[in-house]
Amino acid sequence: MESLASLNLIRLENQLQKLQNQFRKLIPLHKPIYHQLSDCGDHVVIMNTRHIAFSGNKWEQKVYSSHTGYPGGFKQVTAAQLHQKDPVAIVKLAIYGMLPKNLHRRTLMQRLHLFPDEDIPEDIRKNLVEELPQPRKVPKRLDEYTQEEIEAFPRLWSPPEDYRL
Amino acid sequence: MAALSVLVYPCRRLLWGLLAGPIATSWARLPARGFREVVEIQEGKTTIVEGRLTGTPKESPNPPNPSGQCPICRWNLKHKYGYEDVLLLSQFIRPLGGMLPRRITGLCLEEHRKIEECVKMAHRAGLFPNHRPRLPEGFVPKSKPQLNRYLTRWSPRSVKPIYNKGHRWNKVRMAVGSPLLKDNVSYSGRPLVLYH
Repeated sequence: MESLASLNLIRLENQLQKLQNQFRKLIPLHKPIYHQLSDCGDHVVIMNTRHIAFSGNKWEQKVYSSHTGYPGGFKQVTAAQLHQKDPVAIVKLAIYGMLPKNLHRRTLMQRLHLFPDEDIPEDIRKNLVEELPQPRKVPKRLDEYTQEEIEAFPRLWSPPEDYRL
Repeated sequence: MAALSVLVYPCRRLLWGLLAGPIATSWARLPARGFREVVEIQEGKTTIVEGRLTGTPKESPNPPNPSGQCPICRWNLKHKYGYEDVLLLSQFIRPLGGMLPRRITGLCLEEHRKIEECVKMAHRAGLFPNHRPRLPEGFVPKSKPQLNRYLTRWSPRSVKPIYNKGHRWNKVRMAVGSPLLKDNVSYSGRPLVLYH
């Protein structure tokens, strides 16, 4: 049977927690031909993982632990340190934990392609089919608002005449 | 002798006040005037440095609820703003990023605290790039790895990593957002989660 795989692109700017709905394309529950044994998932490409954002103080508080198997080999690394070493690792571990915990998980991870910046190899870029919507709306900075929007927003209080900032 | 000492001690206190007064406050007690901009004009050999009064911005007319006590109640924004409403928050901050005092802005205590917390979260999210503190001249800051964050309750430097996350009945949760904004209206219907 011909595989109906397609490549979908997610451009990450500032979100991590809300990826859950996007990578569902790996598990092809959205296709009417789904069967547990038929291997018909889609590929998902995620770029700009270097610019991911964590809510709260998770960059300092979240700890990723691993053990090499040797005595004294318990390593604990904060999210900031891990991101410094490998900008792709946080997204990879997050998605690995969100997939169903069965033997399909490894094959689904092979179909996930992560890139820290905008450069993607040519052969993947040519085959991209759909850009999935962003999970989270990125808030605008103060200098990204146009002058009309700033003037349209009402002034809430009037400072006294003789007040010096 | 005892009488003399009794007389001298209050005099000493008065002298302290008199001496400390003019010297300490001679530059702080200048008459406070409105918002000014400094303009330098050079005419031949004389330079004139002038502080011209710019107009103080006035409150917009017709607030929806004129009987409110603080600006937020007057404009019906009580439980409706968050850290991303930068246009609202920028009206209550100084040029270098600090908050304005409550007696000047006229906010009620709880709203002042909520806005203060939102301003802190917005600064940490990098939404006020032009309100950074002034650095001394010739100071080049070390290049730090730039991490994007949002809804940070605590200052990044003050937080320790959670090495022991605890068992299932006793987890150490990570704080997100602020409990002051617990009563905010949620249009998506999902409950606000303060601890992840």
